[in-house]
Amino acid sequence: MRLVPPGRAESSAPVPGVTRWKSTPSWFHRKQLLFSLGILGAALLLVACDADARQSTFGTAGPVAESQLLLFNVLLWVMVAVFILVEGALLYATIKFRRRPGDPLPKQVHGNTPLEITWTVIPTVLILALGVWSVFTLFDIEKPPASAAGDILEVTVTGHQWWWEFEYTDADGNGKFITTANELRIPVGKPVEILLQSDDVIHSFWVPKLAGKVDVVPTRNNRMWFQADETGTFYGQCAEFCGTAHAQMRFIVQSLTQEDYDAWAAGFGRPPQLSADAQEGQQIFNGAGGCLICHTPNGSDSPAVVDSRMQAFLTTETGVAPGPNLTDLATRQTFAAGLADLNRENLRVWITYPHDIKPGNYMGERATIYQQNSDGRASLSPKQISLVIEYLLSLK
Amino acid sequence: MAAITDVIPRPVSATGVWSWITTVDHKRIGVLYGVTAFMFFLIAGVEAGVIRMQLAVPENGLVSPDIFNQMFTMHATAMIFMAIMPMGAAFFNFVVPLAIGARDVAFPRLNAFSYWVFLFGSLLLHASFLTMQAPDTGWFGYANLTEKPFSPGAGVDFWALGLQVLGVASLAAAFNFVVTIINLRAPGMSLMRMPLFIWMTLVTSILLVLAFPVITVGLIELTFDRLFFTNFFNTAGGGDPILWQHLFWIFGHPEVYILILPAMGIVSEVLPTFSRKPLFGYPVVVFSGIVIGIMGWAVWSHHMFTVGLGPVANSVFTITTMLIAVPTGVKIFNWLGTIWGGSIDLKTAMLFALGFVALFIVGGLSGVSHAVSPSDAQQQDTYYIVAHIHYVLFGGSIFGLFAGIYYWFPKVTGKLLHEGLGKLNFWLLFIGMNVTFFPMHFVGLNGMPRRIYTYTSEFGWDFLNLLASGGYFIIFAGVVVFILNVLKTAKNGEPAGHDPWDAPGLEWSIASPPPAYNFAQIPQVLGIDTYWIVKRRNEEAGTPITGPEPYVDPETIHMPSPSYWPFVTALGTGLLAAGFLIDFGWDYIRFPIPFIGGIIAFLGVVGWANEPPDHAAHHDGGSAHGEVQHGEAHH
Repeated sequence: MRLVPPGRAESSAPVPGVTRWKSTPSWFHRKQLLFSLGILGAALLLVACDADARQSTFGTAGPVAESQLLLFNVLLWVMVAVFILVEGALLYATIKFRRRPGDPLPKQVHGNTPLEITWTVIPTVLILALGVWSVFTLFDIEKPPASAAGDILEVTVTGHQWWWEFEYTDADGNGKFITTANELRIPVGKPVEILLQSDDVIHSFWVPKLAGKVDVVPTRNNRMWFQADETGTFYGQCAEFCGTAHAQMRFIVQSLTQEDYDAWAAGFGRPPQLSADAQEGQQIFNGAGGCLICHTPNGSDSPAVVDSRMQAFLTTETGVAPGPNLTDLATRQTFAAGLADLNRENLRVWITYPHDIKPGNYMGERATIYQQNSDGRASLSPKQISLVIEYLLSLK
Repeated sequence: MAAITDVIPRPVSATGVWSWITTVDHKRIGVLYGVTAFMFFLIAGVEAGVIRMQLAVPENGLVSPDIFNQMFTMHATAMIFMAIMPMGAAFFNFVVPLAIGARDVAFPRLNAFSYWVFLFGSLLLHASFLTMQAPDTGWFGYANLTEKPFSPGAGVDFWALGLQVLGVASLAAAFNFVVTIINLRAPGMSLMRMPLFIWMTLVTSILLVLAFPVITVGLIELTFDRLFFTNFFNTAGGGDPILWQHLFWIFGHPEVYILILPAMGIVSEVLPTFSRKPLFGYPVVVFSGIVIGIMGWAVWSHHMFTVGLGPVANSVFTITTMLIAVPTGVKIFNWLGTIWGGSIDLKTAMLFALGFVALFIVGGLSGVSHAVSPSDAQQQDTYYIVAHIHYVLFGGSIFGLFAGIYYWFPKVTGKLLHEGLGKLNFWLLFIGMNVTFFPMHFVGLNGMPRRIYTYTSEFGWDFLNLLASGGYFIIFAGVVVFILNVLKTAKNGEPAGHDPWDAPGLEWSIASPPPAYNFAQIPQVLGIDTYWIVKRRNEEAGTPITGPEPYVDPETIHMPSPSYWPFVTALGTGLLAAGFLIDFGWDYIRFPIPFIGGIIAFLGVVGWANEPPDHAAHHDGGSAHGEVQHGEAHH
């Protein structure tokens, strides 16, 4: 069983264990190659800086990540030059001045003031020049370009242990409010401004190909922005250690054409068509399964509900935890914070015993149906689980 | 009470376990520090092995996420606080009095106390494994993950209490070395004639004195949050998790220099010795060390570039952090100047010192790339940072400390470590560390976050992780070779003589191992590298020095007597902290055990203050200049 999201839509779908190599290496690739050759040789080089890797900081697809990469690249080549000079001098001196039998005492040099001033001043000037440029870049990418004012999509991101919540206050330009989880859909070529919030611990929101990370800190309202210059799927992951399942707090950003995005936003949250089985599943979802306590399947959560779930989480040992909103779940590619493909088999594993997919998650730890059996498995029959899955896969 | 303790005589054992428990001899305490630190180095190294084995292949099920989190937390905590710092303290203890021409440290009993507190604090932290609740929130223990609702187990309590105990040890040792270096230098040793290692010990000790109170404040607040329901960092009660980060990193960045400056001091001794040339630009190396120590206080927020402090704060800390590369670079250039034109003898100590320079350059350069906050936004909390810190702390601190071990081992034991095994040790560690840590730069830039216990193949991180895990075995082999070398040397090591390296420091003018009193005659210091000057003058005069300072009857020299009280006081201190782990839940006193610990510690201090001066009446000697003033004022 493979509990992974599907590969990118393009032909470069990843093959596990096999490293892909761009057929036309970029300028950076070739330079990087030379550098690596000198240090680790060809084997390492093939996998060293893979711009195609899902979270590669070299495979930039937006202006923020590009500015950050440019800065890094310049620093890198300065570093490479300094590395070669200084390590070269060290190696040269070590070989050249090795003691041979009968060597006299070397000249006792105590220092050389002009030389020492030189090698203090040169690095200072170099550092300050790079530093000033860095500061300009830093301010440059702080906010979306002024020219984009009024045409910015705003999304509130809330980090939870261990999943992501996305709220659009105005998804369609007409004030439509959307709450969804773990998959962020954005229109291509348009700045997206993100408000970052947490009501548990510190997380860090990071989509390497779009922008560097910004921490998600309770008590603070951090902001960041990015823009995807191409359509496609971009992978992200929590970057600040946040407890047991920190490794499994992933998400994806789907950059859609404006038309596709508009169609998604307009269609979001329409009442689903439920078959008879699905209706039975809905009853279990709302009743015996107790799923509704933590998951809202139809529309946005009211702030009061969100708050009461969190308070209950903080003050009780079992029963409640904030859970992802499941509206339009069936339109998502993955579930469990980007861990598993959304399909019948994976959902069955997940509902039966969530720790098989994500050890330590709060559904498995706290939901009542997992407290009733000594082995921690759901106290639902296989039939009931099938019906719930039927219902979940109808949510679209 | 004084009357009671007054009649307990001072201990007399010169051999056996009691002699080690009651010793106040800086050389013996140095050995205790070194051996203990090496044990914790091995434990932390095994924890690193678990981490590497779990990450060797994707979707590995070797350990659970909780165990993995405990492993990386304890690996870093132990390496920093229980391996590298005390290994530095081992050298401070053994070398400082010898190298400044003193007979002991300023406060010999306080010195013993700091070792025992260090030991008990370390044992307290590791006792968490016995309860299956080792700390698992990272060595940086970011609030508010460390608060009760998110970390209900005892792990964080072990961590916070253990580190507070270790802080007492570090402070006691640091004060001791500041006073020792300021007050007990031999006549003629002005500050600007001190060996570089002594300078770096002084700077490090001052950093410790200033830095540890800051983390202690944070740890006390955390403990209060967890045990007494305060709201320093508890966001639900209005606390601020970022306050913790400021406190932690205001300590944490100077801590980085606390870890690296002793190694820089060691390298500044080893490179000149094996190049047979004085240190190039001594005043510049001294001042760059001081400048690093000062600037280290102005860069802490570079650990917090992604926290959202805003572009102005990020700009300021970008510039200050980049500027710290200047004094660091200057040191490297001066080391190059030292070996340039020298007569280089590639003994193992020298290999480690050169390895230190080579690897520290890599760590320093990658450091510049995350000094720049926009670039750091992509690197923060990735394996790129893991690579960086290991080039600085393994390639830097550990290699520097190994250089020190090979350099001073003959002085400590009187025997030379085997050179062949030493070279094998060096090359295994050098190759192993590069195979392990160099690929981490790439895997980090390819988007792998730190502290994840698993990953899947789709991310393209498989090969580099496997490579890094393979490198672990090479490092492991290197450490095994070192242990074999020590065992072989203990069995049939070559006698070292008093000055095997033709070294410039005062410690080489006396016998190996040195007598308890160190110097029969307190030396007169003639300049930087005073023993080098003496040797060359004697050669010119046709009377080369062929042996150490001759032994004298130790009864003629007053030395501080052993004492039980440092051990007792340290035991009480450890119990005082450990007691907070057991909540009796009584109505008025939830934690009774700390009172018992406090009473023991108090009795220890009373006994210490009222201890009779000596076990025997031989404090009639000690007329030599520079007699140890060890705070035993009521003779």
